Amino acid sequence: MRRHQLAQMLILGLIASAGGIALALAIDWFPKVGSHQADRIDTLFDVLLVASVPIFVLVQSIVLFSVWKFRMRPGEELKDGPPIHGSTRLEVVWTAFPALLLVGLCAYAYSVLGDIEKAKPNSMVVNVTAEQFAWHFAYPAAGGGKPVSSDQLYLPANRQIEFKIRSKDVIHDFFVPEFRMKIDAVPGITTKIRVDTRNQRRDYPVVCAELCGLGHATMRQTAHVIPQAEFDSWMQRKEKEAQST
Amino acid sequence: MTVARRLQAPGLPRAGLGLLMGVALAYAIVLPVRSLYGFDPVLDGEAVTIVSLLAAPFGFLFGLGAFDYWFYWASGRPTRAEDHSGHGAKSWRDYFRVNTDHKVIGIQYTVTSFFFLLVGGALAMLIRAELAQPGMQFVSTDGYNGLFSVHASILIFLFIIPVFAGLANFVLPLMIGAPDMAFPRLNALSYWLLPIAGTMMLLSFLAPGGSFATGWTAYAPLSTDVPVGQLFFTVGVQFAGASSVATALNFLVTIITMRAPGMSFWRMPLLVWANFSTSLLVVIATPFVAASQFFVLLDRALGFNFFVPDRGGDVLMYQHVFWFYSHPAVYIMMLPGFGIISEILSVKARKPIFGYRMMAFSLLAIVVLGFTVWAHHMFVSGMQEWIRVPMMITTAIIAVPTGIKIFSWLATLWRGVLHLDTPMLFALGFLTMFVLGGISGVMLAMIPVVIHVSDTYFIVAHIHYVLFGGSLFTIFAGVYYWFPKMTGRMYDERLGKLHFWMTFIGFNATFGPMHLIGLKGMPRRVADYADQFAGWNLFISLASFVVGLSTLVFVYNMVASWRGGPRAEANPWRALTLEWQVSSPPPTFNFDEVPTVVGGPYEYGVPGAVHGVFKKPAEVTATAGGQE
Amino acid sequence: MEAASVAQTDHHHGPPEANRSSRVEPQLLGMLLFIISEIMVFGAFFTAYFFIRVVQQNDWPAAGTELPVAIAGVNTAILLSSSVTLHWAETALKRDNRFAFKAGMLTTFLLGATFLFIQINEYVHIGFAPQDTAQGSIFYGLTGLHGAHVFIGLLLLGMVTTRAFRGHFSAESHRGVEVPGIYWHFVDAMWVVVYTAVYVL
Ligand code: HEA
Ligand code: HEA
Ligand code: CUA
Ligand SMILES: [Cu+2]
Repeated sequence: MRRHQLAQMLILGLIASAGGIALALAIDWFPKVGSHQADRIDTLFDVLLVASVPIFVLVQSIVLFSVWKFRMRPGEELKDGPPIHGSTRLEVVWTAFPALLLVGLCAYAYSVLGDIEKAKPNSMVVNVTAEQFAWHFAYPAAGGGKPVSSDQLYLPANRQIEFKIRSKDVIHDFFVPEFRMKIDAVPGITTKIRVDTRNQRRDYPVVCAELCGLGHATMRQTAHVIPQAEFDSWMQRKEKEAQST
Repeated sequence: MTVARRLQAPGLPRAGLGLLMGVALAYAIVLPVRSLYGFDPVLDGEAVTIVSLLAAPFGFLFGLGAFDYWFYWASGRPTRAEDHSGHGAKSWRDYFRVNTDHKVIGIQYTVTSFFFLLVGGALAMLIRAELAQPGMQFVSTDGYNGLFSVHASILIFLFIIPVFAGLANFVLPLMIGAPDMAFPRLNALSYWLLPIAGTMMLLSFLAPGGSFATGWTAYAPLSTDVPVGQLFFTVGVQFAGASSVATALNFLVTIITMRAPGMSFWRMPLLVWANFSTSLLVVIATPFVAASQFFVLLDRALGFNFFVPDRGGDVLMYQHVFWFYSHPAVYIMMLPGFGIISEILSVKARKPIFGYRMMAFSLLAIVVLGFTVWAHHMFVSGMQEWIRVPMMITTAIIAVPTGIKIFSWLATLWRGVLHLDTPMLFALGFLTMFVLGGISGVMLAMIPVVIHVSDTYFIVAHIHYVLFGGSLFTIFAGVYYWFPKMTGRMYDERLGKLHFWMTFIGFNATFGPMHLIGLKGMPRRVADYADQFAGWNLFISLASFVVGLSTLVFVYNMVASWRGGPRAEANPWRALTLEWQVSSPPPTFNFDEVPTVVGGPYEYGVPGAVHGVFKKPAEVTATAGGQE
Repeated sequence: MEAASVAQTDHHHGPPEANRSSRVEPQLLGMLLFIISEIMVFGAFFTAYFFIRVVQQNDWPAAGTELPVAIAGVNTAILLSSSVTLHWAETALKRDNRFAFKAGMLTTFLLGATFLFIQINEYVHIGFAPQDTAQGSIFYGLTGLHGAHVFIGLLLLGMVTTRAFRGHFSAESHRGVEVPGIYWHFVDAMWVVVYTAVYVL
């Protein structure tokens, strides 16, 4: 009778997990994909879902099954369960299995990390400076001239951008959800992230993700990703302005 | 009693006097010093505030009489030998005195911290009211920052941590067969530090410039240049921290030196094991949060340069020091709950805990691992990059000992006889909800994912699934479970079940969707947000009010049952552990004679099994069956 | 580890005698645990020291300042000798030699006070302030934190000494000397670490 209860429970569990995974993958969790990093991170997240949903469902179904089958029936008020003190075999299993699973996930996450931070040739540097409560952007000029500074963030499409981020006052955090990348702007040091923009024209929100005072909530701007040619002409215009002033 | 004599006798009136004298002292110190150094203005509000925040509490404690005995002792005057007048509570007034009885202190602790749950929760209600729609409705932006900062600080430092200490204070000495804690006066002192810390944090709302508004993490350098309200956190944390260190020290000494004969470490109930591990964490980790706030205080008040980059200071140092405490702190807020669940599940499933020793070892494993993962809160902080991957691995590995506990509990349920009353419902609710919070935690450990979701509502979801679905559910379970023992009355089962279902459903409706809006990119700690999130936030706010109401049901149940509930018998749950072998509420001195332990604490289903007997060891040792 | 309990029979005048489940004295264990958390407080300050001196790679001491290594060395000797005299006093008490006990406590107290005085004097003449540089901050932070502990230690020693002169304590009951004593020894040991880290290295 015991074995067949276990089997019963496992079958229910498997069905539920399958359903759970399907549901979890069906839900659209993320904002638009705006960068190569976003692709990799979304996949990693889906893998994590596939790994963890069964664990979650397993726990739920054991609890629900026990409530259903083993709850105290009238007349059992004084009844006790069987005095089972443990089983070394089981304990080894549920120590080793999660450990292996986690090591595997860490290894995968590690490879993804390496990929989303890999430097590409001809990547372009944008210097980001945060202050309460606004973002400033500066582009090293092509001819090594005076850097072009702008309060609008324009980015060439299909190009790796290396953001070098500084802060004038307190800690802020440069975050573009569609890029899936963020890093703190820390007074005294320069932090950096790399983003490979998609080959498509689009505007994305830039938000400050680290509490920085009363204006924190409103410290938002827009990142305009535009074709390379368009970007170059924008740069030229900006450089002229820079020279003239 | 004449006013004069009132003010001389220890008690609240004298405490009030002491408080005023503390403030007076602050002026007496600050004014001369500042004029001496020729500072201008001589009367500086912030300086006086700082000194008062430090001096007034001590004045209060002196007045209350928390130190009287030690003064007599130190000055070598004859100390009144403990006449036990400090034991037991004859009327409600005794709960407002310095009382050395661990049962009275336990109740003081529990009731006080539940008051702070209501306050912190009420603040959460305001948070949700503001977030119900995009744009600003009720509060200013930094008014909002103040709301969630106080909300979190109150609920962490004045609810979760102390309420566990309170429950253990009442139950633990009984469980190990001790007549009281090892240091009853220290115990009383650590309780009275709590109201001080809590009042201080709430008073910050009256400070010019508003309450502290830098989150419960109070990152420098923001915390060093915001208005004076911040100081109420900086200093308040010192008192809360001192309180928990003192209690932890007390628990450790009590557990090590005062166990009943026959109560070997491997016969201790898992609640005792849990508090043992937690106390280790507290004693080792808490000094770091104290220091982190010292640094902020020094930078602010005396112009030190710990966090001033131009002068060679290091901004990230704050986060390392803070999280070296505050990660262990999250286990300080969970391990005692693990203990409670172990007690309840085995009693309510009428089965021995599955794998008792592994349960104990996994607690210790979590303690050790807990100190090796702090930087997982700093994955996007710009710290040295090489630290990240080692911390990712240790963080993920912590899931293993936690998993051992979860699976052992499930195995304890298997083929048991489940009594599905309120404590059991909350215990099962914990099992199901904490796993979700834990799993989202493991996702957060994966650096690429956390780069995206850090500082978003995904984190807020994780926080509440572990702290509410985890810690708070275990606390509710524990309070219902020991309510008969603590008050001598039974709670109302129907209201209890209503409370559970409202909380369970409201909780999931509130915090479940936060995972989604977080992944979609809604940052945390914002009073205003993009319109795309408006729908979900309205839903969340409505759901959160259901949780709020459910808590009021709980409060009503507790108050009404305590005053008019049916009398509880000594052992309504047919439990084996020692606290249930004495009357409800327990006699003033716990036991007529210290019991002798002859077996394990969870031998349900073993015919004729006993855990402790109330005979003198001499007569017992014959019948005592070897090990567990 | 189970010591047999002495369950007392008449339970009307107070709680039953607690069973002693460990050979360790509760007071000693308590003080030991307290010292552990004290060590962690210093640990946090040393973390700050590490970040400011090593991670930030600031020069040490800050450019244009120097630390009076020699004087501080003498001061170290003074503090350490106070540990010796304290030990002397304790052993004297256990041999019921009251005069040596009182003398020992007094010298210990005076040596401690001297240390603190010299420390403060050093602050006055050292020529830089905590407000100048982060190095200054952590210098005053570490030495000041330790100074505060010396001060508390002196309060404890002061109480013990007064009680000693009032004729308290005896070869049988000396817990009230030992427990503060442990704390004082800890304060001394911790100074050696601070001295090495701040002045020598
Ligand atoms: C009770 C409190 C508590 C608990 C127990 C936990 C437990 C865990 N937490 Fe959580 N955490 C917080 C409270 C808590 N946390 C708070 C308050 C914050 C926010 C602080 C702030 O910034 O304000 C936070 C933030 C936080 C972060 C930082 C996110 C960020 O700000 O960028 C991370 C990252 O790694 C993390 C991870 C974890 C992990 C891995 C666990 C693990 O211990 C969980 C282990 C448990 C399980 C995994 C479930 C049971 C296990 C099994 C069923 C076995 C099989 C499972 C697998 C193989 C997956 N937490
Ligand atoms: C134990 C911990 C705990 C608990 C129980 C809660 C409970 C709740 N929390 Fe809290 N929360 C935190 C710990 C906790 N929280 C932490 C650590 C943070 C991070 C803060 C930071 O970023 O620094 C946070 C942040 C946080 C945020 C994010 C703020 C932001 O980032 O902008 C939100 C938003 O919805 C929120 C909501 C809630 C809600 C709706 C509840 C509900 O469960 C509350 C339910 C209501 C009650 C239990 C009270 C019921 C009483 C009444 C309704 C009236 C009676 C009142 C009186 C008599 C005075 N919390
Ligand atoms: Cu800038 Cu938040
Ligand atoms: Cu953590």
